[in-house]
Amino acid sequence: MGTDIKKILPKLIENAAVMVFYLNHNGDILLCNKKTESVLGLKQADIIGRNWLEVLFRDKKKSIKKNMFKAVMDDSTIYKRAKDFTCHINQRLISWSINPVLDKDNQVEAIALFGQDVTEIKERESSIKNIDDSLKNIFSGIKEYALYVINLDGNITYFGMGSETMLGWSKKDIIFKHVSILRDIATDSLSLEFILEQVRSFGKYETETELVTKNKETIPVILTVNQFLDATGKLSGYVFIAKDITERRKLEYQIFQSEKIAVLGQLSAGMAHEISNPLFVISGRLEMLKQEDFSQKVKDDLVLIADQTDRIRKLVNRILKFSRKSTPLQELIDINEVIEGVLPLIRYNKLPSAKVEIEKYFGKNMPKIKADPDQLQEVFLNILTNAYQSMPGGGVIKIITSNLQNLYAQIQIIDTGIGIPAQHLKNIFMPFFSTKNEGLGLGLSICHNIIKNHNGEIELTSQANQGSTFTIKLPFT
Amino acid sequence: MLYKILVVDDEAPVRDLFEELFKKEDCQTVTCATGEEALNILKNETFDVVLLDIKLPGMSGLEVLKNIREIHKNLPVVMITGFGFDEDLIAKTKQFGCSGYIGKNMHVAQIIVTFKQFVKNAKEKALL
Repeated sequence: MGTDIKKILPKLIENAAVMVFYLNHNGDILLCNKKTESVLGLKQADIIGRNWLEVLFRDKKKSIKKNMFKAVMDDSTIYKRAKDFTCHINQRLISWSINPVLDKDNQVEAIALFGQDVTEIKERESSIKNIDDSLKNIFSGIKEYALYVINLDGNITYFGMGSETMLGWSKKDIIFKHVSILRDIATDSLSLEFILEQVRSFGKYETETELVTKNKETIPVILTVNQFLDATGKLSGYVFIAKDITERRKLEYQIFQSEKIAVLGQLSAGMAHEISNPLFVISGRLEMLKQEDFSQKVKDDLVLIADQTDRIRKLVNRILKFSRKSTPLQELIDINEVIEGVLPLIRYNKLPSAKVEIEKYFGKNMPKIKADPDQLQEVFLNILTNAYQSMPGGGVIKIITSNLQNLYAQIQIIDTGIGIPAQHLKNIFMPFFSTKNEGLGLGLSICHNIIKNHNGEIELTSQANQGSTFTIKLPFT
Repeated sequence: MLYKILVVDDEAPVRDLFEELFKKEDCQTVTCATGEEALNILKNETFDVVLLDIKLPGMSGLEVLKNIREIHKNLPVVMITGFGFDEDLIAKTKQFGCSGYIGKNMHVAQIIVTFKQFVKNAKEKALL
């Protein structure tokens, strides 16, 4: 066949995947190719000879398109320039190209009109955009994972998923910064080079570590690092996925604390028992000695020794109450009554005489709680005493009881005292922790134990110099 | 003499202390370290009261109590506890007829008074 353009060109046009029209300058269709048949649903014979506007826009409703198309056509004709236009024909999206054919005098002698069906292309684009948007939505909802990618130099090239939220950096601020900005290299012995070496050798690396936010806060995370390969399969970077495990750490810490307290309890019980005998003997002998005839100095010394032994005895008793393993008595009690019963007792503790007002807000609909009334009284006595002591200049203590969804009784004791600084709050229920100069620091740990034994919860919120709020929840029967 | 007391405790300083304390109260005391010894002694001698430590090596305080009760229905037995007594254990001893408790964590004066009260009560009950 050869490359005889005269013979091939018609074949090319006839078989093109785009619509080809040849119009005179009036817009009448002189020629059209096969593609026009399938798009327009007409035979070539029914197209040729008719005006293009009438063929394309048979429907009167399409008059706007007709006018626009005509304007583009006129523009192209007048300015002798190719012009483009997109519109729907028979529910297909067609991208038109209008090309004036100029004669040797540079006048428009004809118009070549090409129309490409871009329906599928547009759909694909739209679909991709939908997926993209969906992904963005999905990712923006995932707050506990951060995904970022670095290049081989270690600079961040992509900062996606929950990275901005978790780490506080905005994409534009962190892009191309070195990834080490996200770790505290001074304290972190796990080196980036080590991690990347592992990833290169084994494909991925996972570890538990800490990331640093823009505000210099540390977040405990599980970090998974994978290879980032380019289209040819060559290593072009690394993908980091960090999962925030702050909540898990909190839970682990709480469990650890509970276990510590439990072990401490067992040790205390054992120790206390061992102490009984020596203490008993010392006390007993002291009593006997006191009755003997000694100089006043010796008698005074004996009294001092007896006092100290007394202190030890009280201490051991306290430790024992704290370590009590036995399940509490199970009586059906009214929490409002229990608290009411404690109030007169407060006066008998050694309290600084201060104008402290107690405001009671007792919930009306309070079902009974299965509890040991003495133990609960001890809890409230302890907390109320602390509240009193935190307000040497006087103040108000609010006691609020309420019914939480018929499941729990909630008791809140709110004071306006000196409060507890934030750094002490996490230790406040630990045994032997005390912010006071006297006392053993066992009171609150005993309270914690008692409430836990009752399947309840106890929490303290506090602000230095503003006051503290104890919130206790106890399940109804 | 007020009472003849059998003191059962595994620690010598504790036994000696009781002996001296009771001497001041005009009581005669015999002491031993284990439950087995106590039961042997009880076969051959009579006592007004047994002062029995709840925690003993070998035969436990509870076991000794049970054994004593089988032979001597009316012999007052006062149990000694230390700090941290087990409430279950105490309930069991009550079940087996112990006449009262004194705790090593109590003041000595209080121990003596309480002890004497228990014995008095037990004897009066026995007479009924």
